[in-house]
Amino acid sequence: MLSLRALRRFLPALASALVAGSALADTYDVKLPPELSTSPKLCDYAPCKDVMPGATSFSERRGQPPFVEAYKDEAGQKKLLGYVMLSTDITDIPAYSGKPVVTLIGMDTTGHFTGVKILKHSEPILLLGIPEAALVKFNNQYLGKFVGDNIEIGKSRPEENLIGLDAITGATVTVIAQNQVMMTSGNEVAKQVGILKPVNRPQARFIASTATPSWAELVSDGSVQRLVVKAEEVGLKSDGRPYMDLWFGYLNEPSIGRAILGKYGYDGLMSRLSAGEHAIFIIKTAGMDSFKGSGFVRGGLYDRVQVRQDKDSFTFRDLDYVNLWGVSASGAPAFDESAIFIIRGKSFSAAYPWKLIFLGNKIDKETSTKTFANFDKEYWLDAKYLEGGRPKVVKPDPTWLKVWKERAVEIGAFTVFLLLISVAYASRDKLVRRSTHKNKWPVNAFKYTAWVVSIGFVGFTAMAQPSITQVLTWFHSLLFQWKWELFLSDPLIFVFWIFIIVTVFVWGRGFFCGWLCPFGSLSELLYKIGQAVGLKRFQFHLPQKLHDKLKWVKYAVFFGLLAVSFFNMGLAEKLAEVEPFKTTFLVGIMNRSWPYSLFAAGLLGLSIFTERPFCKYLCPLGAALAMPTTFRWFGLKRKEECTSCKACAKGCGSLAIDTKGNIDQRECMLCLDCMVLYYDDHACPPLAQERKRRTKAGQPLTPINGKGYYIPIHPAPADKKQEGAAA
Amino acid sequence: MSTEDIKHDDQTTVPGRRKFLNTAAFAGLAGAGLSVGLSACKQEAAAPAAAPAGAAPAAHGASDCGKYEVAPGQLDEYYSFSSGGHSGEVRIYGLPSGRLFKRIPVFNMDCLVGWGITNESKAIIGTKPDGSLKYHTGDTHHVHQTYVDGMYDCKYMFVNDKIHSRLARIRMDTMECDKITELPNIQGFHGTFPDKRDPVDEKINHTTRVFCGAEFSIPLPNDGSDMNDPTKYHSLFTCVDSESMEVRWQVLIDGNCDLVATSYDGKLAATNQYNTEMGAHYQDMMSSEHDACLFFNIARIEEAVKAGKTKTYGSSKVPVVDGTKAANADPKTALTCYVPIPKNPHGVNASPDGKYFVCSGKLSPTASVIQHDLVLKWFNGELKEAREAVVAEPEIGLGPLHTGFDNKGNAFTTLFLDSQIVKWNVEAAIQSFKGDKNAKVVLDRVDVQYQPGHGFTSMGETKAPDGKFFLSDNKFSKDRFLPVGPLHPETAQLIDISGDKMKVVADHAVYSEPHDSIIVRRDLVKTRQVYNLDEFPNAVKDPKESGVFRNGNKVTIKMVSQAPSFSLPEFTVKKGDEVTIILTNLDKVEDLTHGFAIPKYDINFLVNPQETKSVTFKADKLGVYWCYCTNFCHALHLEMRSRMIVEK
Repeated sequence: MLSLRALRRFLPALASALVAGSALADTYDVKLPPELSTSPKLCDYAPCKDVMPGATSFSERRGQPPFVEAYKDEAGQKKLLGYVMLSTDITDIPAYSGKPVVTLIGMDTTGHFTGVKILKHSEPILLLGIPEAALVKFNNQYLGKFVGDNIEIGKSRPEENLIGLDAITGATVTVIAQNQVMMTSGNEVAKQVGILKPVNRPQARFIASTATPSWAELVSDGSVQRLVVKAEEVGLKSDGRPYMDLWFGYLNEPSIGRAILGKYGYDGLMSRLSAGEHAIFIIKTAGMDSFKGSGFVRGGLYDRVQVRQDKDSFTFRDLDYVNLWGVSASGAPAFDESAIFIIRGKSFSAAYPWKLIFLGNKIDKETSTKTFANFDKEYWLDAKYLEGGRPKVVKPDPTWLKVWKERAVEIGAFTVFLLLISVAYASRDKLVRRSTHKNKWPVNAFKYTAWVVSIGFVGFTAMAQPSITQVLTWFHSLLFQWKWELFLSDPLIFVFWIFIIVTVFVWGRGFFCGWLCPFGSLSELLYKIGQAVGLKRFQFHLPQKLHDKLKWVKYAVFFGLLAVSFFNMGLAEKLAEVEPFKTTFLVGIMNRSWPYSLFAAGLLGLSIFTERPFCKYLCPLGAALAMPTTFRWFGLKRKEECTSCKACAKGCGSLAIDTKGNIDQRECMLCLDCMVLYYDDHACPPLAQERKRRTKAGQPLTPINGKGYYIPIHPAPADKKQEGAAA
Repeated sequence: MSTEDIKHDDQTTVPGRRKFLNTAAFAGLAGAGLSVGLSACKQEAAAPAAAPAGAAPAAHGASDCGKYEVAPGQLDEYYSFSSGGHSGEVRIYGLPSGRLFKRIPVFNMDCLVGWGITNESKAIIGTKPDGSLKYHTGDTHHVHQTYVDGMYDCKYMFVNDKIHSRLARIRMDTMECDKITELPNIQGFHGTFPDKRDPVDEKINHTTRVFCGAEFSIPLPNDGSDMNDPTKYHSLFTCVDSESMEVRWQVLIDGNCDLVATSYDGKLAATNQYNTEMGAHYQDMMSSEHDACLFFNIARIEEAVKAGKTKTYGSSKVPVVDGTKAANADPKTALTCYVPIPKNPHGVNASPDGKYFVCSGKLSPTASVIQHDLVLKWFNGELKEAREAVVAEPEIGLGPLHTGFDNKGNAFTTLFLDSQIVKWNVEAAIQSFKGDKNAKVVLDRVDVQYQPGHGFTSMGETKAPDGKFFLSDNKFSKDRFLPVGPLHPETAQLIDISGDKMKVVADHAVYSEPHDSIIVRRDLVKTRQVYNLDEFPNAVKDPKESGVFRNGNKVTIKMVSQAPSFSLPEFTVKKGDEVTIILTNLDKVEDLTHGFAIPKYDINFLVNPQETKSVTFKADKLGVYWCYCTNFCHALHLEMRSRMIVEK
């Protein structure tokens, strides 16, 4: 009830809204012809064609609950186009006003919605403030959606096969009721005409037990479940309390019911229930808000809690509510809000799993706009309560698993590719020995193959270019909520990341960056092509000193993004466009707006003239991987002479070798050029010197050992070695 | 420290009336000023309140009384169903909060819900041939429930009307009165109690009868004969069928009936008698040394009724059996047993273990404990004197009236003159009566403000009392509340009896005048949320059935309400028509009740969701009358109107 003060403010507004709103409020409390709900010829009184475009004629009402068939004339033949139903023929779910929104619904023969039209509503909320168009817009979300899908108000959750609908802010009861009306009506008709198989879950038969379990026992066997919604999950600042901390359970099972309600409470509750009705309880032990809300006061509908069993969802009216006085199970927590809700749907069975859904509003910190967010928790009675145990339930594969199955060949090929390249790299010692500074093909054959496959297959085809955003997501998941589904939803990226993490710690990030990163490969390939087509004279490296300063920029970019992501993930994702990956592979340079295209094209163009400019100075992903590379197991080999000899450093495209001959593993792309030199007795200065000395002295050229030296001719006395070292 | 040692010597033998009056005078002088109960909340902080898990309101604040408060959003633990005295109604409170939830009109009129205005309520209350109400007044005293296996089943409760000798039944799913029966040939119908099981048929382990005692003796039949010969006045004890509400039988007795109790085995009903002398004046009523607690052998009475050993009085067809002493000299065939107890007792209560009846002394400072199986023995001829059934008669204080019981064998008796509640142990009283001088009978006393009448414990009238609360319905509040003129509210004081010491934990102001209540655990009560349309034969189930239907000068207006409108925006009748309006509330949302008022025609009533009500009146004034919804229902509540046009 309104307080008097509220009423005083409200009534003038109401009066003016009534005057001004008459034109807007098209279907508010319009008088519908009584025949609409009684005449066999529904479509004489309802605009059926509006919800079934293309239909030329309609049948009379048929079926139970009733619907009509819509036909199209095709060469003189009547062709069934779909079905039209009047919501009030099927369900009387009331909306906020306590009265149903009379809705005409069209559905084609495949079960996809073709049209939704409101014939009459009594929602005062749509008279005041919220335009009726909002409801029309809401309804239009159904067009083209399949009646058999799990459609709910809130965010889509593809990993659970859940399709979300945008709610109307301020009219949540209305849209929840409307969703229930749409799905119930569509389902009823779809079952009748064979689009959907009727769900028939046998009712649970309970094993009569006289035990009275304690709260702890109920929790441990899953008879009581907990649904916690954190403050952050609804966009609120946490003050240590959760937003919602609910415990719930199923009450019809006698030993659970008696444990929770006591004998009298249980008997009393059961005496209220008819066959096929079920009771659940919910208590709130902590939280910032009410799980009942106050939507039920006017409209009779609880707009914050629902139960869902597969595709059937059950909302609660005020008449489905019974007071829960207390929980008699010993050790039960104290609570400040409680309820017993009655599930009155024929299809519900306690033998099968179901979910309690809490519908929350998520508040966006910047815009203060509210979006629906729903949270759920599964409940399935323990086998010990059920005669014959739990029935076998074939759960549909989660989306991630489906994707893995669908892309199995691709995933397999990719994995084999990664393994082959790894084997090749692991055999680098053999490859580099076969190569010379003039002919690096034994190495390059593998590397270039890797590049081409990476660019063509991994990058452009499979779009599996790893990105810094995944690192950020990973950080956030570690800190807040780890969801495997999130990572598993893209199998190639998932496999790639496992591979990257392993190889970074084994060989360093250069293996990914230098051999397998699609963009990196493209970048260096362009450089090599430039070299090959005669642009070599235009190609340059930045001076080492400048390079040594600029290389830190990418670390700054990485930490900058990470920092921003803690405050605003959305902004961080936008800023992550510093990676031209999306433009290059996912969308295509030609398909993006010019600043993005110019940036990507510029970087690639520059790559022709200088080796990997993006990788060297900007790439935050490279920076992120470079840090753990410090701890890699296997580095590249060096000789003692390397400290003074600059031969390798000169040829190092990555500019990763410093004046003391040390390789900066964080910068090294593992191109293996220096390793080719290492064994090349025509290129590696100490080795070439020795070769010349031996040739002069007529000594044989023994094979080069693992340390990059000729195997000494005589068993090495100490001074010989010294001599060799000095030479 | 306390005054009890001065005021009462519990070990003294049963005093005579003279001594008692002296003590009373002394007690009056001493006053109740030296109270032990005034600061009860702060005392005995350690007293455990054995609350059911999860149900107790969370303790908060420093004051011990805080734990008896019910915080916002929390629910009371108990219902208290209370009579409303000469307001004629029954009331529902929540305990421990003392919040008033509902007033159920029964014998009175109520213009809020339209009780006494709608045709349906008039039919229940009873009408004169012209259709007007037979009575507008009533005096409710005792509220008691139906039982299953010695426990409340919360199906019905019964309440008496002392003024017009009527028994009303309230159905507890809707908390509305559904039947009223007027008892023939009696006046001053005071005590009433349902039976708890059948005395013969083991299978009937629930209430089937309601017993009613008549306090004022009258000539039989009261048709103008024997008016000046009070020796010919009689009282009848009445049995009513709890389902049909028909009077089954009556018993002619010596003396009168005050309060009524029933045994847990269904075999006995009891009533205390304060006027065995059958005096017509106050001084005559106190002339003999003993009064009695009268027991009825239900099985034998019903056999006698079956055997036709009955007569009838006046126009009443109810069979009456003879339960007078003279006609029942042989215990082996007797229908009644008169157990002598000290003068002018008040209140008889059955102990939850089913073993005893406790009769309070009123003018005697004693309580008499009568053993149930000894009364049965008397009926078998195994007891020489009926008085031998009295197994204890402890002196407990001045003006004992009513007794409640806990789950530990203790009795709690209201002391009207002492203005106290006394806690005493029944078994100890029996030992003391046998001569055990060490038996500690009185365990505790607590002052109440002021002068308690009825007192009762939580679940105390069932076989499973919980020993948590005692409610003292005090007759006077004097200074306890903000003054509201000469007529004060009364005090219902909540006392925590779970510990050794009683603690007064709340003063609840109640409008005059509750007599008796029952305190019922909340989980036992199962109410409906909305009505069922099909239960009303005259329901207007569809707005399309609305309209004006004329049959001569009788006009029926059929209408439905759906927030925010009535299905007829106007209707026209002719002056002189007898108009019946039938209104069905088709709203299904819980708590969405509409009202319907017609100005100048003195009509207002409510229709709850899915309920149908009707009114009939003569359209005797020309003009336009705006009928409107009186019960706030919707944002457009003010617009919810209909126009009655009365034309020539």
